[in-house]
Amino acid sequence: MFHGIDPRSPIPLYAQIAERVRLAIATGTLGSAAPLPSVRQLAAELRINPATVIQAYKDLEAQGFVEIRHGAGTFVRELAPGRRARERSQQAVALVRKLLAEARRSGVSLAELQRALETELGAKTT
Amino acid sequence: MSDAIHLERLHYRAGRNFEIKELDLHVPSGSIYGFLGPNGSGKTTTIRLILGLLRPLSGRITILGLTMPDQYAHILGRVGYVPEQPHLDPTLTVRELIDFQAAFYPRWDRARAEDLVQRFELDGEHLFGRLSKGQKAKLMILLALSQCGDLLVLDEPTDGLDPVVRRDILSALVTYVSERGATIFISSHLVHELERVCDWIAVMDNGRLITEAPMEKLKHGTKRLVVMNAPAELVNPPFRVLTRESANGGGGAGENWVVGDWEPGMTSYFEAVGASVRDVIDLDLEDGFVELLRSFRKGGTGR
Repeated sequence: MFHGIDPRSPIPLYAQIAERVRLAIATGTLGSAAPLPSVRQLAAELRINPATVIQAYKDLEAQGFVEIRHGAGTFVRELAPGRRARERSQQAVALVRKLLAEARRSGVSLAELQRALETELGAKTT
Repeated sequence: MSDAIHLERLHYRAGRNFEIKELDLHVPSGSIYGFLGPNGSGKTTTIRLILGLLRPLSGRITILGLTMPDQYAHILGRVGYVPEQPHLDPTLTVRELIDFQAAFYPRWDRARAEDLVQRFELDGEHLFGRLSKGQKAKLMILLALSQCGDLLVLDEPTDGLDPVVRRDILSALVTYVSERGATIFISSHLVHELERVCDWIAVMDNGRLITEAPMEKLKHGTKRLVVMNAPAELVNPPFRVLTRESANGGGGAGENWVVGDWEPGMTSYFEAVGASVRDVIDLDLEDGFVELLRSFRKGGTGR
């Protein structure tokens, strides 16, 4: 779930971790009431500052995705119907934005991008 | 929050060519504080001053709220130190060295030492002199962690080690911080490792502190700009100009600037003087570090 977290990225590590958890919740990899790794465990595994993990979990709690039960751990909350789907479409938008920004930076035109997308999908969109 | 290490206007001289001047450092309690700088910049000397191994000409050193050197013994009982070069007796075994070290520290945690022997896959019967470089480093970390200090001072603890050993050592350090909330002061050349783990960064060069800032602030405040029609003179810019030079391809391509203390929205400063910013590029810690040093050495704005 946390593979490829990149400390060199301009996106802060806590935001990267929170995004991975939201993605896992959106796609159902993490179901309701599923436990998140403990702060100690995740910090040691990723070799990052425990405060970074705490910040990520606190943000997720503020956004209503998880519940921090002191002494017990952090657990995925029951999400309102439709929230998973909404979260997934937000993830999709974020992915497209990232792709577009990258394309702009490397001078790839929209038409070229669209053609590549169609080829990769193996089907022509109308 | 109080500071685990507080240095005030520290001055130290060694011979004619090296001095540490006007050094102020604030290491917040509970932080993992990365201490960066090229070889010979004064990192190890600063560490030796912090530990009372060297005496400053002037200035104040406060460690864990206590004054160095007056409260020397109290401080060292609560500080774990891993020097750059292991200094243990090569004719003793791993087990003997652990027992020897334990005798000096009333807070010694036998269970932690045992756990780390297992985790680091050390053999208690091996002689220190026969251990590999990586095993020596692991033992040094084990000894520093098992004394249960409130502050760990580590002088390049993973530099020159293979990635597997570095991983093991960093995981053990992070676990220790999660469990005990201790402060770690760590000097290193391995910028990417510090970028992962530290929440504060200081940069030294030539005996002086160039910068000291929270990691996020340093990373987000340092940008490379591509500036068109840049003015020759700047009047009170809200950011720090570290370097500026014409971009490849001459005048038409504008200038490359590296700035510090940058915030979104500061592009309006350029518009107000008839220039424009074509691109704002994020820098990682290593790029930022190199640009800070370049700027400092050119006699730029420094801090």
